[in-house]
Amino acid sequence: MAHGRGLSRRTVLTMGAALVMTAACGTGSGGDGKVKVWHGYTDKEAAAFDKLAARWNTTHPDQQVELVFNGGNDNALQKTLASFASGNPPEVAYQYGSSITGLTGRPQTQDLTDLLRGDAAFGWDDLFPAGREAATVDGKIYGVPALVDNLSLVYNKKLFDEAEIAHPTESWTWDDFRSAARKLSGDGRFGWAYVNDGTEDTVWRFLALLWQAGGDLLAADGKKAAFDSDAGLQAMRLLRDMAVTDKSVYLDAGDQQYLNLFNSGRVAMLWTGPWDLGSINEDVSYGVQILPGRVTHATIAGPDTFVVFGDNGRTKALPFLKWLLSAEIHLEFAMETGHLPIRQSEVDLSGYAEFEAKYPGTKVFVDNLAKNVTKSRPNIPQYPKISQVLGTAVQSVLLGQAEPEAALAQSRGEVDQALAGS
Amino acid sequence: MRRPSALHLVLLPLSVVMVTPLVWMLLVSVSTQAESRRFPPGLPSGIEWENYLAAMRDAPLGSWLVNSFVVSVVCVAGNLVLCSLAGYAFARIRFLGGRVAFFLMLATLMVPFQIVMLPLLIMMRSLGLVDTLGALIAPNLATAFGVFLMRQFFTTLPRELEEAARIDGASRLRTLLQVLLPLMRPTLATLAVLTFLQTWNDFLWPLIVVQSPDAMTVQLGLQSFQGAHTTNWPKLMAGTVLSQLPVLLVFFFAQRFFVRSVAAAGIK
Amino acid sequence: MTLDRRKLADHAAGWGFAAPAVVLIGVFGLVPVVWSFALSFQHTDLTSPGTFAGGENYAKLVADPLFWDAARRTLVYVALFVPVTLALALPIAVMLNQRIRGVVLYRLAVSVPLVTSTVATGIMFSWLANPQFGLVNAALDAVGLPKQGFFSDPGQALFAVVAMTVWGWLGFAVIIYLAALQNVPRDLLEASSLDGCGRARSFWHVELPLVSPATGFLLVWLTINGLQLFDAVYVTTKGGPLRATTVLVYHLYNEAFVSFDGGYAAAIGCAVFVLIAAFTLLQLRFNRRSHYEVR
Repeated sequence: MAHGRGLSRRTVLTMGAALVMTAACGTGSGGDGKVKVWHGYTDKEAAAFDKLAARWNTTHPDQQVELVFNGGNDNALQKTLASFASGNPPEVAYQYGSSITGLTGRPQTQDLTDLLRGDAAFGWDDLFPAGREAATVDGKIYGVPALVDNLSLVYNKKLFDEAEIAHPTESWTWDDFRSAARKLSGDGRFGWAYVNDGTEDTVWRFLALLWQAGGDLLAADGKKAAFDSDAGLQAMRLLRDMAVTDKSVYLDAGDQQYLNLFNSGRVAMLWTGPWDLGSINEDVSYGVQILPGRVTHATIAGPDTFVVFGDNGRTKALPFLKWLLSAEIHLEFAMETGHLPIRQSEVDLSGYAEFEAKYPGTKVFVDNLAKNVTKSRPNIPQYPKISQVLGTAVQSVLLGQAEPEAALAQSRGEVDQALAGS
Repeated sequence: MRRPSALHLVLLPLSVVMVTPLVWMLLVSVSTQAESRRFPPGLPSGIEWENYLAAMRDAPLGSWLVNSFVVSVVCVAGNLVLCSLAGYAFARIRFLGGRVAFFLMLATLMVPFQIVMLPLLIMMRSLGLVDTLGALIAPNLATAFGVFLMRQFFTTLPRELEEAARIDGASRLRTLLQVLLPLMRPTLATLAVLTFLQTWNDFLWPLIVVQSPDAMTVQLGLQSFQGAHTTNWPKLMAGTVLSQLPVLLVFFFAQRFFVRSVAAAGIK
Repeated sequence: MTLDRRKLADHAAGWGFAAPAVVLIGVFGLVPVVWSFALSFQHTDLTSPGTFAGGENYAKLVADPLFWDAARRTLVYVALFVPVTLALALPIAVMLNQRIRGVVLYRLAVSVPLVTSTVATGIMFSWLANPQFGLVNAALDAVGLPKQGFFSDPGQALFAVVAMTVWGWLGFAVIIYLAALQNVPRDLLEASSLDGCGRARSFWHVELPLVSPATGFLLVWLTINGLQLFDAVYVTTKGGPLRATTVLVYHLYNEAFVSFDGGYAAAIGCAVFVLIAAFTLLQLRFNRRSHYEVR
């Protein structure tokens, strides 16, 4: 811990459209004519990405790319905004899905709709819908998907066997899930873990529950909240019943110990994505199943996006991104990183069987992309505010500080206000 | 003063509490990845030196350390000189606008950095400093923190010292350099250490003002050990330990300056 | 009001000494501050050019219950953080100023939190204070006391943050006090002990007054940083649970970064400024008075 102003780690700057706007909007690419691609990949992801970029550069001397580490994806948005202010933005920046509404409408950000939809060879519609939707705001496309994840049920087989509970199946219901979690709990162990820091990490799991119960976040016209419904109530009640009544849920305060607890046999089930599979210790035998269901077995995707800036971004960087997302090249990337396929036709490639063999746990996630990722978060500027409100509501129910009905009613009011406010 | 044993009873447990995170970092830095992924944690079964090798092999740790070092040392030098001068003036000279200037200087610390960061960045751009070490040095060359610290400590020195020297015909600058500053050695050492720490550990400002790997500092570079979804904790902690060693060394060697020299203490 | 020669020389000398630092700090510090003040009178969502907003951001501030809650929490935090840090730091510094075996190692140990990054500190504290599996609760349990929620309990989280930041800043305050104690002429201390002054009396009558400039400095400095608390919250509770640790700058961060209401965030920043400026002026005034008492 340190003194002084400059030490805010991961703090976020931001401020000042005036500043950003007064700053010239030029997109200077480096003096060497290479276009810059900012990314947050580390370790084997970085190595695989570097390898592909090097290959592209040897065959495309006029459209060379330079990969630059962005200091971590948690800081990607603020670093990008700052680069607008300093007049030296990259041509491409990796962004969390939720960040895109903070970048659209700026002169640097490029509308790529015609270049992508109009390019039959690229096959925009072949990309999984979750990724496409994350790159699209108000019908316009501002980037290409970089990564598409989703949630599945990951469970510790040994704990199930010891408790003599049948492993989760495709037709598991909420009741099956709840009763298994209850039986797996006790003696310093929890059936399930829920990230309860009130951020989007808390909210997206709730959205999956809401959709499973047949509900929706917003009304069809997007102008009113719709989650204060029977489905919303069922979802909140399940959380209350499990966390407060059964005490079968480990509430992770945000320090992400849930995975370490899973490794130590203290948590039996997680709702998580493929990124966590690589961090499960070898001595833990785990299974992956689709999420339990109520009306549906809906899950939620967490897509990230490559957002494109400036004229050079359109002309020089986009061809690289298109190449990167072609089925063969992306499968090559997936083989080395364990990333899920990003387009439907990737699954049909002959090399895909090898991917499945190398990453057996990912099959359920890939199937989910086609079957259970049926809805997505609305890509609207008010979403971050809505997420904050819902995060607090879910937290209050999990902590037993509010009844489901009251939490829903109050958050509906705040969401309606946020939607009406702008 | 002559009953050390009683003090140890307080200081020893206190020290244990204070060094816990360092011990923890050291333990994680020699654990295997699997060991680092357990909770509650246990002691590592062996010592994985490989983490340190990986941290040095996988990243240009050396050039990051050099950048951090250059920035920190230049800022320490700047602060020692400029803050001594200004601190002395604010403490001992009544001059027109002095108090207003002092307060305005403090005022620069009162608006959260998150807000002033972008204006500062735009200024750096007009100075042509973006993406250079200069951008890390310029705003920290003289700090309100340093001026304030020095001013406060100058007020503790007896006025008679200075007046005696002035009567002997010494100029203000000479009095400051030859009479007052030697007495301030502990304070100057404190300022040096704290300035070094601040610039060494700074993260947010380098993050936004530096883009190319050539100008990366070690705190920024260490981020590349921290993945978006999964982190190799042992490697990250090994890198962190390596990056903090220089700071601990600076602390260690500054210790002797913290203690006022006997000769200086003799002056009343 | 006659500007005689000597006063003129003083003005010149004062500015001569102060100018280099004042100019640097003015350019790199004050200009951005004034700039952000201007922003607080604009509507700016960071995605479109700002438009003049008059006092609307400030009107919103007054009507925003989250702002007032955050302000209240911030004041509670500072009211605990600053005095607790000072009250612990001075006795520790006095102990570390003794000539005892191993004092250099103790000083190093106390400085460790200064060197440790906030992220590592946050991980450590979350881990020690984990309600189910943390060491602190294990210890409480062992001596028969009830387990606590710490960062997970809305009623305790702010206090857990106080504890963590006191730990983080203690070394800083101790170092400043040590420097001040080193400036206390040793013969003064020895004289007082020869007078038969008890250790406690010498502390109250000799050391405490002589370190008062350091106390003044720490009061201002810890308050400035306490009122801008952000990092420690960001790495532990993210402002929760149930907004229990959403202090002013965290609220500002949410408005600026999450909701992209840049003008409103700047207005919150200006409120923080006013709060800090008021405290600082008050403390500087008090500090000046206490100086005169010493002389």
